[in-house]
Amino acid sequence: MFKQFTENIDGNQVYLLLSLSVFFIFFIVVGIVLIRIRKHHVIHMSDLPLHDGVNNLSQPSEL
Amino acid sequence: MQPENFYYDNKIVRNFGIATVVWGIIGMTVGLIIAIQLYHPGMNMGNQYTTYGRIRPLHTNAVIFAFVGNAIFMGVYYSLQRLLKARMFSDLLSKIHFWGWQLIIVSAVITLPLGITTSHEYAELEWPIDIAITLIWVVFGINMFGTIFKRRERHLYVAIWFYIATFITIAVLHVVNSFELPVSFLKSYMVYAGVQDALVQWWYGHNAVAFFLTTPYLGLMYYFLPKMANRPIYSYKLSILHFWALIFIYIWAGPHHLLYTTLPGWAQSLGVAFSVMLIAPSWGGMINGLLTLRGAWDKVRDNVILKFMVVALTAYGMATFEGPMLSLKQVNGIAHFSDWIIAHVHVGALGWNGFLTFGILYWLIPRIYRTDLYSKKMASFHFWIGTLGILFYAIPMYWAGFTQSLMLKEFTPEGMLKYPNFLETTLQILPMHIMRSIGGGMYLLGVIVMAYNLTRTALQGKLVADEAAQAMPLAPVQTIARENKWHRRLERKPIQMLVISLLVILVGTFVELMPTLTISSNIPTIAAVKPYTPLELQGRDLYIREGCVGCHSQTIRPFRSETERYGEYSKAGEFVYDHPFLWGSKRTGPDLAREGQKYGNAWHYNHLMDPRLMSPGSIMPNYDWLITQTLDTSLTGAKIAAMRKLGVPYPAGYENKANKDLDKQAREIADNLSKDHIKVKSDKEIIAIIAYLQRLGTDIKVSKTANK
Repeated sequence: MFKQFTENIDGNQVYLLLSLSVFFIFFIVVGIVLIRIRKHHVIHMSDLPLHDGVNNLSQPSEL
Repeated sequence: MQPENFYYDNKIVRNFGIATVVWGIIGMTVGLIIAIQLYHPGMNMGNQYTTYGRIRPLHTNAVIFAFVGNAIFMGVYYSLQRLLKARMFSDLLSKIHFWGWQLIIVSAVITLPLGITTSHEYAELEWPIDIAITLIWVVFGINMFGTIFKRRERHLYVAIWFYIATFITIAVLHVVNSFELPVSFLKSYMVYAGVQDALVQWWYGHNAVAFFLTTPYLGLMYYFLPKMANRPIYSYKLSILHFWALIFIYIWAGPHHLLYTTLPGWAQSLGVAFSVMLIAPSWGGMINGLLTLRGAWDKVRDNVILKFMVVALTAYGMATFEGPMLSLKQVNGIAHFSDWIIAHVHVGALGWNGFLTFGILYWLIPRIYRTDLYSKKMASFHFWIGTLGILFYAIPMYWAGFTQSLMLKEFTPEGMLKYPNFLETTLQILPMHIMRSIGGGMYLLGVIVMAYNLTRTALQGKLVADEAAQAMPLAPVQTIARENKWHRRLERKPIQMLVISLLVILVGTFVELMPTLTISSNIPTIAAVKPYTPLELQGRDLYIREGCVGCHSQTIRPFRSETERYGEYSKAGEFVYDHPFLWGSKRTGPDLAREGQKYGNAWHYNHLMDPRLMSPGSIMPNYDWLITQTLDTSLTGAKIAAMRKLGVPYPAGYENKANKDLDKQAREIADNLSKDHIKVKSDKEIIAIIAYLQRLGTDIKVSKTANK
């Protein structure tokens, strides 16, 4: 099926190669950033929605 | 340092919530009416203001910008305050934002049925309203950033990045897609023409789905799902990857709406490549949401709110799997212009946007009213009738899409079209359209039950308009040790976040738009293609007013099944004077790109008066008002002058004698009609629209005879 894609491109295959490299480079860069994030920061960030500074005792019961 | 006391503004959240429900019911009711019109044209109530072509844009605008739009603002105003531990920046701006947005919606409700439209899908509103949208959007931006600046939480949670990206990208999309040259107070022409206009429109259209229906909702998901399940998001790291990948890749995908059209092939290929990539971040988001419920699936069994969220995420996953698949050229060749696309968007709209909104409403309204939900049984009923409604909607539409597409492409062994009459394929799928409207009706019923349930909830409680909260003020930045992790630094710098998001979306925008907009060799011109005559131009504006583009495309793809049926495939050079382009995105009726001279004037007259006279069983509404209404020629000169400004080569001073030419051509058509015993004055609207229809696609036919 991919042969059809490459054949359907007008001119040359630079667009395919370009998109593929953009795709990979992008994910590699973000991946490196993610690996370098510290664990306690991740925990702090993911807990943000659960602490909104309001006394939650009077919240409605669960459905 | 002492903790500070402050109050969250719940009233603005409540107001947006009410608007969400009210506009949701209105928008979906209009949707149901047009769905019924597709098998019972009489549902237009014999009235031009409620006919499919005019109120289909009303349905899309109402559900996207009124229902989903207000839901976004409701969720953002609730979550932003709590994530930043600060009240909204300005109560006045909140109020201006709320009432301004409702006013814009009301103006859409008034102008669209009147036929005042730019005909750009999901951007139909005319230029004065476009300006109002820009102003209100800026108000929203100031209010959001003002709140961010006075926050009591240093780091911005991932939901807020999604809000920021939404704000900046929608601003860019709206401005670029609204370059119109005003002709009068409520009429304008798009600055771009033909292929360029199509590219800009679908860059906008696709990213309106991305940045209005997706990114803000993902932000809401990242805030409300952890709140509802009372546990943090499955993977915060995945959310970072999800965010950057999604906004970077989404912006490139627009051209998959224009496959097999005259858009340059490289742009189509680029659009396909990035559309396929989109599955990665989209599914990343869905998986992150669903895995948040890991270990809490027992809660899903008896918590109706979580049920809504699970269906919403599943629908998101299905729609974002289908999107990349539909962008493959081979699949697109079958699906495009068919009901398959209607099924696809409604899985996203009803499932993802609708159900996520309902989940949030059921969670949020009892909280800001400090009470329990009035009836859990009703909410449960809503869930089930809504889910069944989605299935009853989507499955028949998939079925109809396949059936009709395959019928349209079927040849006999002798090499002739098996179903040369388009109408035959339409009649085949009408039972599916009936089923679809039942599905839509069920879904709407669920929403009405929800409205009742939420109203009773609000009545039994009391709104906590200002909710007391407490948080430590932010320590000055200097006291924080320098951090080496740049993303962590970015998380506390909203403006940098805004700028980087902007840069990320501009990369794809520039690579994709600029070559087609600036390099003329991308659009080969054809010498035989001439500007429209004044009468044809007026007729074209009537075609735009009536929303014919909602059912009839004007672009023939290079398939044998289409060239056999409609004629020579479309060329880029044929559309260079089309401000705006009218290629359309759905073929409920046949393509009209080469309609000109196919039938006589009398055929068109009778067909517009009552389509069933010429095509028994047709589902097209009667356009009898075109026969009685007089053509408004007061703007002919202004229209010609505006077109010349946009580069259409009308001779200088032609605007002064345009109406004379218009009258002459109109009299010729009226005389021709009288030979078929049709008596109609030459100043009626139907004459102009016949002139336009008879012109369609004839430039190339003319050149062929000239060559012979």
